Amino acid sequence: MSSQPISQSGEIEDVVDTTHDSDGPEESEEGVEVQEIDADAPSSSNKKKKKKKRSKFHKVLDALSGKSEEIPQEIVDKVLEKVKADGGEGSEHADQATVRQALEQMRIMDVVKGKAGIGGVNAKQMGEHKFWATQPVPQLGEGPPLEDGYIEPSKPREEVRQDPYLLPNDFTWTTIDVNDPAQSKEVYDLLSLNYVEDDDATFRFNYSAQFLEWALKPPGYHKEWHIGVRVKANQKLVAFISGVPMTLCVRNHQFVVAEINYLCVHKKLRSRRLAPVLIKEVTRQVHLKGIFQAIYTGGVIIPTPVSTCQYYHRSLNVAKLVDVKFSFVPRNTTLARMIKGNKLPDQLRLPGVREMEEKDVPSVTTLLSRYLERFDMKPIFTQEEVAHQFLIGRGSSESGYTNSWRREGQVTWTYVVEHPETKNITDFFSFYSLPSTIINNAKYPTLEAAYLYYYATDSAFLPGSDEDGILKRRLQELIGDALLVAKKAQFDVFNALTIMDNVPILNDLKFGKGDGLLNFYLYNWRTAPLAGVKDIGNVPPGRGVGVVMV
Amino acid sequence: MKRFSTSTSTMYEPSSSFREAAAYLSSASSLQQVSTATKLELYGLFKWLTVSPSPNTSRPSIFDMTGRAKWDAWKSTGENYNDGAEGERRYLQIARDLGWTEGTISKPQVGAPEEDEIDWDEEDVPTQSGGVRSGLGPSISVMLKDENDLLPETDTTIHDFAVSGDLNKLMTLLKNNPHLNLNQLDENGYAPLHLASDRGNISVVKFLLTKGADPKVKDSDGMTAHDLAEVAGRVDIVQTLSQTSNPHPEPFR
Repeated sequence: MSSQPISQSGEIEDVVDTTHDSDGPEESEEGVEVQEIDADAPSSSNKKKKKKKRSKFHKVLDALSGKSEEIPQEIVDKVLEKVKADGGEGSEHADQATVRQALEQMRIMDVVKGKAGIGGVNAKQMGEHKFWATQPVPQLGEGPPLEDGYIEPSKPREEVRQDPYLLPNDFTWTTIDVNDPAQSKEVYDLLSLNYVEDDDATFRFNYSAQFLEWALKPPGYHKEWHIGVRVKANQKLVAFISGVPMTLCVRNHQFVVAEINYLCVHKKLRSRRLAPVLIKEVTRQVHLKGIFQAIYTGGVIIPTPVSTCQYYHRSLNVAKLVDVKFSFVPRNTTLARMIKGNKLPDQLRLPGVREMEEKDVPSVTTLLSRYLERFDMKPIFTQEEVAHQFLIGRGSSESGYTNSWRREGQVTWTYVVEHPETKNITDFFSFYSLPSTIINNAKYPTLEAAYLYYYATDSAFLPGSDEDGILKRRLQELIGDALLVAKKAQFDVFNALTIMDNVPILNDLKFGKGDGLLNFYLYNWRTAPLAGVKDIGNVPPGRGVGVVMV
Repeated sequence: MKRFSTSTSTMYEPSSSFREAAAYLSSASSLQQVSTATKLELYGLFKWLTVSPSPNTSRPSIFDMTGRAKWDAWKSTGENYNDGAEGERRYLQIARDLGWTEGTISKPQVGAPEEDEIDWDEEDVPTQSGGVRSGLGPSISVMLKDENDLLPETDTTIHDFAVSGDLNKLMTLLKNNPHLNLNQLDENGYAPLHLASDRGNISVVKFLLTKGADPKVKDSDGMTAHDLAEVAGRVDIVQTLSQTSNPHPEPFR
C-alpha cells in the first residue's frame, strides 16, 4: 500500500495541463460549473457543438462499418511535424512511413471485431485505460481468443480481500437497503440528478422507485451488491453502484455473473476518482459470493467490448419529439407528413394477444429459453425469474390506472399471444418504461420512453423461418402490436437495440437510427466478438446478443 | 495488480506552505495566462515533491504529446534539484509570482485522503460527466440527424427562412427582391407558406399572408398550408389561416 499525499494532485494536473485534449470531460470541480454555464450558452453555439458531435458520431459509425479510408496525408504531415518539433527519443527516425504505420496501428478500424481501437474519436478513452489495464478484461487490440474462458481463476472465499477498499477519509461505504423506501428514494434522487445525459445535456434518465425495485431485486439478489458512498459529515449519498446475479450462457459456457449497473457519482465529486474504487468494491463483494464473472454495458468504449450495438427509435408522438429536439424535421419533408407516416393502426393485430398473467409463467419460461438458444450470449431464466422480470413491474390496479393501458407506477408491459384454439402461448413481447427528464423544459418535463425488452415467437422454430421470411413477418406483427400498446400507454418513443432478431424489422416498423451506441462488456471472460450492429462471420447483425440490460 | 507504489521512506514531506501554495494554484485564475513551460515546471515539481523523485512509469509514446511532456518535466525536475527543500523553494517562488501570499488559501482543502490503494491521480477513470454518455449502464440516444441536414446552414431562399422562422432575413430578402414569387414550390414541392405553417413559425405565416402568399396552394400530397398546420397541431396557425378569407389582401404582382 502506498502512502502519498495526493489530495491536490488531480486538481493541479487539470490546471497545469494546457496541452490536454479539450474534448475530454472536465474533471475538476470547477470544470463542472463550466459545463453548467456551457449548457446555457446561446443556442447558436449549442447548434455548432451539436453538429460537430453528430458528425463525429458518423465517423465512428464509418469506422464501425469499415468505411474509414486511409489516413489523410495532412494528418500524417501534421503528426510528423509535431514529432520532430517535440524531439525526444526516436523522433530522429520518424519519417512518413513510420508515422503512417503508427497511426494505422493506433486507430480502431473495427471495434466490433475486437481487433483494434476507434479512429480518433475516443482517443482519450483509448489511450488512458490505466485502470482497465489492471483489470481482468481483454485489452484493446488483443484479438479474439483461441478458446473461450476466464482471464483470472476463481479464488476460494478466504483468499478474497476481506476489508472494504479505502475511501478518501471524508467518505464512507454504505449498503443500500432497497426495501427501505427512504434509501430507495436516496438512490433514485442521486441517479435522477446525476446519471447519464445525452451529448447536449438535454435528456437525463429519470429512474423511479418501482423501476429500482424491479431492476435491483431479482430472485436471489444480494443486498451487499447495492453499494453506496456517503459523505461522513452529513451522510449524504453521493455515489452508487449495483450488481444483481444472472445466469448467463456465452456460446457453449454457462455461468453465474453479476450484472453490474447504475454506476453513478455525484456531479460535484467527479474529480475525486470514486468510480474505480466503486468498481473494485463491487467486484470484491461479488467475489465474496463466489462469483468471478460480470456483464455490463456502457456508451463509451473501454477495454474491450464483446459487442457494440446501436440504438434505434420509433417515434410515437412525433410532434413532441420534434418540439423537445429529440428528433428533427428533415428539410425535404414536413412534420405533418412525418406524423401521418408514423400513424399506427387502432387495433392490436394478432388474434389472441392479451396481457401476461401468473398462469402464463411456465409457458413463457419454456418459450423464451428455447427462443434465446438461437443467440450466442443469453440469460437462462428460471420460472421464478420470469415471474419477476415480466410481472412484478406491471403496477397494481389498486393504485389505479393512468389510462386503461397503463397502471400507476407501471414499469413493465408484457403481452402474450394465446392461440385461439389450442390455447398455447405462441408468442410474447415485453417492454419497460425508462423516462428521461427533459432538462429545462417547462412545457414537457418528461420524455416517456419505452424500451423493447425480451420477446419470443414459436415461428422461429419452424423450418425455413428465416429463408421464407416467416420469422420476420411474425415479428413485424408482434413488435407492431408492442408499438401500439406503448402508444396507447402514452409513450412518446419506443427504443430498441440492434440485438436479437430486431435488425430485420427495424426499417419496416419505421424505427430511425439513434446517435447512441451501447457496448456490451464481460468481466473476466474471453470470447470472440458477438454480432451486434453488424454481422460477424455467418451470424447476422444482432444475433450475437440475446441479453437485454436495463 | 499493478499500481502506483512509492516507498514512503524516500519521500519528501512538503511543508504546510507548499500545501497552501498548491491549493492556491489549483484554482488560481492567473495560471491561465502562464506559459506551458512554467506549468510543466510546476507539474514536475509537484509530482517530484508529492509522489516520487522520478516518474515511476515508462515514458509515454511520442504520440501522447501531453503525457510525454509531463513525464519529461517530472524527470528533469528530479535531475535539477538536489533535495526536496530546494524544489519546494522554487515551487513557492513561482506561486508567489502568480499572486500567492503565505497564509492564504483560495479555497478550503476538501478532505485529503490519507492513504489508499487507488491512485486518485490517474486519468483513466470511467467517470460520467454531465453531457457525456459515459459510465457503466445504459446510454442515452436521440434520433440521428440525416447527413444532409448536418451541412452548414446556408439559408438564402424564402423557403429556407420559412423553415428557420427568421422573419428579419426574410423581410430583407423580399425588400431587395420584391418580385420573388411567394408561391413558388421548392424542389420538394412546398411553398414557403407550407413550410412556415408546418414548422410553426407563425410570424412568418402572418407576414407571408400580408405579402399576398396564396393559402390555397397545394403541396405534392395535395395539402394546403392549413391542412399541414392542422396535422402538425399548430393551433394558432390553423386559426390564422382560417381567418384569412381573402387570399390576396395585396394583389400579387
